[in-house]
Amino acid sequence: MPTITFAQSSGATTEITVAEGTSLMRAAVTNSVDGIVGECGGQGMCATCHVYVRPEFTDQLPELSDDEDEMLDCTTAERTDSSRLGCQIKMSPALMNIVVDVPADQV
Amino acid sequence: MSTSNAPTGVCPFSGATGPAETDPPAEPVAAPPISASPGTFAEAPVAGWVTIPDLYNDPFPIYQRMRAESPVHWVPAVNRYMVTSYAACHEIEQDEARFSADENNSLMKRAMGHSMLRKDNPKHQVDRDSYGSTLRPGTIKKHWNQIFASNHAKSLDALIAKGPGADFVWDYAAPYTAENLRLICGFHNATQEDLQRWSQSMIDGTGNYADDPEVWAKSAAASEEVNAAIDEMLPYLAANPDHSLLSGLASLPIPLEAIRANLKMTIGGGLNEPRDVLATTVWALLNHPEQLAAVKSDPKLHAVAFEESVRWVAPIGMYPRETTADVVLEGVHLPKGSRLGVVLGAANRDPRIFEDPESFNIFRPKKPHLGFGGGVHFCAGTWIARAQVAQIAMPALFERIPDLRLDPSSQSIDAGWVFRGLTKMPVTWG
Repeated sequence: MPTITFAQSSGATTEITVAEGTSLMRAAVTNSVDGIVGECGGQGMCATCHVYVRPEFTDQLPELSDDEDEMLDCTTAERTDSSRLGCQIKMSPALMNIVVDVPADQV
Repeated sequence: MSTSNAPTGVCPFSGATGPAETDPPAEPVAAPPISASPGTFAEAPVAGWVTIPDLYNDPFPIYQRMRAESPVHWVPAVNRYMVTSYAACHEIEQDEARFSADENNSLMKRAMGHSMLRKDNPKHQVDRDSYGSTLRPGTIKKHWNQIFASNHAKSLDALIAKGPGADFVWDYAAPYTAENLRLICGFHNATQEDLQRWSQSMIDGTGNYADDPEVWAKSAAASEEVNAAIDEMLPYLAANPDHSLLSGLASLPIPLEAIRANLKMTIGGGLNEPRDVLATTVWALLNHPEQLAAVKSDPKLHAVAFEESVRWVAPIGMYPRETTADVVLEGVHLPKGSRLGVVLGAANRDPRIFEDPESFNIFRPKKPHLGFGGGVHFCAGTWIARAQVAQIAMPALFERIPDLRLDPSSQSIDAGWVFRGLTKMPVTWG
């Protein structure tokens, strides 16, 4: 099963193994990972599951939709080229050992 | 942070591009006593001492006592369980399988029809998706902000024309938010006064626990007026599309019954809430001159003050859920079919999450509040509210009337618990 590593700005990391198809946001919220809020439950409406995806995994990510793009302009922590919403990243074999950095702020 | 790339976007609401500054989190306060050991559970205590007039007058001391006793109480006066802890409210929001929004004998369904707010997924999502991009940040930035700014200038002119002693809510905040909502919905055949009347009449129906026939009659009349207005607008907007909700709905295979119910829910939930947040935020700032001075000197703090206001006095203080099975919620047993009130107004002042929670303090460490709800029913109008209140109204208001103050000769009144806001707010200047 895919494993997600959440790296905090403090340096701490959390590894979570989840079923394929689970979103990165849902994995974090279910396992109480600090810094991922997921207010809107995965509709891409709240911008509180913002993560920075490590560059080695960006090619395997789903394409950025217009909705996600506009929402990423509303994140509390700065948006960078690595920014994605965790709710839009569903775990798949291609993302087997994905590593993401959790922003210092979500609200 | 391993990322060091430059910012690539600017939030249309706060204008922020960089990370916000926050203080370290508050130390958690000890959990309240719950009379259950691991593997067991307690029955909900009965709060026979809670009365609706007391809640209406000032619910917050009541919530303090309830939270300290138990996360959930049975409240005879309200005829439902009231859930007051942050953790319990949050658990409900994230679990629609056990906590259904599709309540039986719902007064809201009677007053407004069966809207998305009282549906569970997958039915809810069909309705929600039918609102398209009208309420999303991109449309707000490209389309609504300039309309909000124009509406705001007219409403502010009207307040100034009325002169010192004018009422901030009824002479300014209500007409402003009603006119915005009128255009968002697409009611080109109605006035902002119609929107205010429809909204209040149907909200009164939704809260008609006393089963007053006169309230039902007014609510039904408003509901019929909305039906007629929708029937007239749909063919017009199909031929003359704009950015409104009704325009988008005119071209979708959505049953008329759902369109009507969802629009009525939006009229009920899209007017009083931004009106009340605008008034409550300005009222709180006028009562805290040092915080007002900070907001005036740093435009980014308008958005912070807005969020703190929604936390401090959530405009929608309680909403219903119903258990689909026997559940144990934060150590309290609730039978299947229990009617719950999820009391956001109490959760947002839970001392286990927020330090000094009863105070309005824009400098508090930032934490997610529950004022917009959470999970699949997260408020669809969140970004519209942030835009029209924090981005458009507040900066222009304080620039145009820099010496705005509460009228010392006439006391403001804040009231309500299911919906809470200022019912009277005389202001002066000059």
